[in-house]
Amino acid sequence: MSKVIERPRYVCALGGAIGTIQSLPRAIPILHSSSGCGGNLAGALSGASGYNGGNYCGGQALPSSNVSERDIVFGGEGRLQEQIENTLKVMDGDLYFVVTGCMVEMIGDNVHAVTKRFKGGELPVLAAETVSFKGNSYYGYELVLETLFRDFVEKTTEKDAKTVNLWGVVPMQDVFWKGNLGVLKNLLKKLGFETNTFFGQGETLDNLKNAAKASLNIVVSDAYGIEAAKVFEEVHGVPYLTVQLPVGDHGTSRFLRTVGKALGVDDIKIEKLIQEERKAYYPYLERLADVYNDLDFQRYATVVGDPNYTQALTRFLADDLGWLPELVVITDILGEEQKERVLATFGDYESGLRPEIVFDEDASSVGGYINRHWPQNQGQKYYKGFAPGVILGSVMERDTAEQFKAPLLPVTYPISNRVVLNRAYAGYTGGLTLAEDVLSLVVAHR
Amino acid sequence: MDYIKHKVPPVREDRLMACQAYGGTCGDLSKDSKKGCLYASKRTFSQTQGCQLNLSLGMISSMRDAVMVIHSPIGCGGNLIQNAGINKVFQKLRQESAVGLRWINTNLSEVDVISGGEAKLRQAVLKAEREFRPSAILVFNSCVPALIGDDIDGILDDLQKQVSAKIVPIHCEGFKTKIQATAYDSVYHGLIRNLVGEDKGSKPEVVRTLEEEAEHQAVISKTVNLLNVGSMSRIDEEELVRLLKALDLNVRILPSYSHPDDFTYAHEAALNVSICATHDDYFVEHFQQMYGIPYVMRTIPIGIANTNKWLRDIASFFGIEEQAEKLIAAETAELNKAIEPFKAEFKGKTAFLTGGEVRILTTAELLHNLGFEILGLRGYHFDKYGEILLDEYLEDVPNSEKAIFNIGSGQVFEQANLLSKITPDLFVGHIGVNGSAAKQGYPIFPLFGQSDDYLGYKGVFEVATRVSRILKNPAFNKNLGSNTRLPYRDSWYEQDPFTYIDDSASVAARIG
Repeated sequence: MSKVIERPRYVCALGGAIGTIQSLPRAIPILHSSSGCGGNLAGALSGASGYNGGNYCGGQALPSSNVSERDIVFGGEGRLQEQIENTLKVMDGDLYFVVTGCMVEMIGDNVHAVTKRFKGGELPVLAAETVSFKGNSYYGYELVLETLFRDFVEKTTEKDAKTVNLWGVVPMQDVFWKGNLGVLKNLLKKLGFETNTFFGQGETLDNLKNAAKASLNIVVSDAYGIEAAKVFEEVHGVPYLTVQLPVGDHGTSRFLRTVGKALGVDDIKIEKLIQEERKAYYPYLERLADVYNDLDFQRYATVVGDPNYTQALTRFLADDLGWLPELVVITDILGEEQKERVLATFGDYESGLRPEIVFDEDASSVGGYINRHWPQNQGQKYYKGFAPGVILGSVMERDTAEQFKAPLLPVTYPISNRVVLNRAYAGYTGGLTLAEDVLSLVVAHR
Repeated sequence: MDYIKHKVPPVREDRLMACQAYGGTCGDLSKDSKKGCLYASKRTFSQTQGCQLNLSLGMISSMRDAVMVIHSPIGCGGNLIQNAGINKVFQKLRQESAVGLRWINTNLSEVDVISGGEAKLRQAVLKAEREFRPSAILVFNSCVPALIGDDIDGILDDLQKQVSAKIVPIHCEGFKTKIQATAYDSVYHGLIRNLVGEDKGSKPEVVRTLEEEAEHQAVISKTVNLLNVGSMSRIDEEELVRLLKALDLNVRILPSYSHPDDFTYAHEAALNVSICATHDDYFVEHFQQMYGIPYVMRTIPIGIANTNKWLRDIASFFGIEEQAEKLIAAETAELNKAIEPFKAEFKGKTAFLTGGEVRILTTAELLHNLGFEILGLRGYHFDKYGEILLDEYLEDVPNSEKAIFNIGSGQVFEQANLLSKITPDLFVGHIGVNGSAAKQGYPIFPLFGQSDDYLGYKGVFEVATRVSRILKNPAFNKNLGSNTRLPYRDSWYEQDPFTYIDDSASVAARIG
């Protein structure tokens, strides 16, 4: 039996699907669901994602069949057909994507039969059954990608050895997704490749439509987008590689070596790029030489969040910043196989650090793990606890941070106490941004 | 009204024949509403909106020392995520020791949908009790458990024997109604059934001497319940409390930011004072029926005219009209002098308002009084309470019968079309639709906010100063207007904004 969850950091498959579709250029989601579903999810999608907003078509602009009791009794297919017809008339998009909520699934509406009637029309209408009780936001992301890869990406025999696709950075759930995608695209460009990220700045639906020409699919995650990569391989014959989200020198250098090798890039070229990037990276960190050491800026750290970020942040803190991120709490719902894959990403540190990794979905549990890892003061005179400590997590760690009197940097979803526009934490430049942000916390209260 | 003995309250479509799709003028609406033919209209193209669960959480998630259990798949109640970690600031305005939002989602999976979600509900309630020891556990029921037929009340009755927190079931399945305001009834229904009144089984009755009892009754005879379901900020509350105290009344504020214990003696009051019929009619009617407590509910004290009406209604109940007139005279004289410069500034400017029926009509009157011409209004829904207010508005504001009136929650495509045609100088909007209007370049005054003052006499001045400030430099939205695009085809703006309202049923009713 799945667990009840105290303050979940994700919504349902429908929510993940809407967030994914509305992050595609000029795509219009059409909800076939109860009238409240879109409104219910809006705050999680836009408000909790660093005020990401609704993009082109989100929030209350989302077309929705708004089925209610009468449709539940008599079936909602007629209402859906009418809604799609009129959506095509009113909403200005290049791709329309029907997604479903719980109720229409339970009454057995066949959305595929309805959308099929729009096949061959001027505008593409896709559909996915984003059954909410079958999974969370990440599952919705996966379902949308699978549908796009099956039904929207055009089949081709033409291959372009210098083009790759990249996903696994989940829009909205990665609050810094847009900036991060831009950074990764730039890095691959320096390796000599053009990258379709589908959701990044400046992309169009053509990047997605022509994605089958790519020579490799890079999934920047050990948890999300892998099923979609299997579908892509099956339908279009493009192989995939999973690699971790890179932050800072150590993470990014590993990323470049892994990806470069898979793409057959010459070792010398990869190492040359890494050296160049380091030449730009370390002079900035060099500025901290005095302050870091004069004021003793080393900290213990607890890292809380999804698998993509927790591994990236932990490696950055341990290997780039020389901190002690000894405790990691991963808050996603993961299967055993996924857990193993994720666990494997927390090793092999240059600094030799071995963090304690815990899987727990409940937000209030975090304080308990901190107490367990750095035992509480039992009234003894000589005592060493989680001090000096910093928490990198989400806004949900605010109370825990207050309790431990530790500064909190919200990096993982949800974030509602920062505004995020084009900020990126990925890559070498992202590492510098993260160093700025986390060390600013340390100096802010001087 | 006597629904409290039922497990679930009726929906507003049935109880109040509430309308959720209409397009016309204020004059048309007043006439059509009296014919009773608005209820059946629907949309053939629609955009998403909120649901009962959503609004129920918005209304009562601020309750202190409570844990919410949302019995649903993982996404329901998702709006809470944006408030997790920041809501505490508002709770602290009432009580320094307040903690942030706490909720548990039962995370119903496919297996639960097939075999029932009852075990998960038990697990969640017991977890809430064990981990947080709250005074109350509020259980919200979503669409899925309703459809799979979980016996929620049965389980919660049984669980109440095992936990010390008071369990409050709030039945708020989204698919049951398109009128989100049904949420107010759902929440009040749960609160009245489960929190009001002493639990005589667990607490000994209070024993008072004759003198003590007389004193107690004297306090009650001057006590009013002031109802706030979330659309009054703390500063608003302070303004209304100031006015009611000037009339020598004691004020108890319920239910936003309240503590579960605040309800125990809620029936020890002389009068229930509402600021909005859309919010409170269910509560005040039941309180009158169950405890004989009368109520005041005609209007919201926004703007001078409506604040005066509101105070006079209350004063007339207590027989202190003279005292009230003195207060009103002093307050309005002082205020009128203070807003004089704004009237010159706003003269000839035009405005469009959208939000709840009661709030927009009264805010429109306020803006009219400040010098604005009101070009149109959009209400979430419309019912008999709106009808009364609309008629008063038509009297208070000359030439208002030609102004547009559109009904529909969300439905920003209709709004975008309307705005492109009537181009007001100021847009006043409820949360959720302001971003859309901003992208059309309009200066925007938010209809309410948790940190701002709108109500009473002070509210009039505050609204005037903020509107003046916003109109002084609308550059941000102007830039958006020139550089962004709403997701509608150009051809949509050429059509009638009400093209997708299908009122064939009401036309039939009119003819028949």
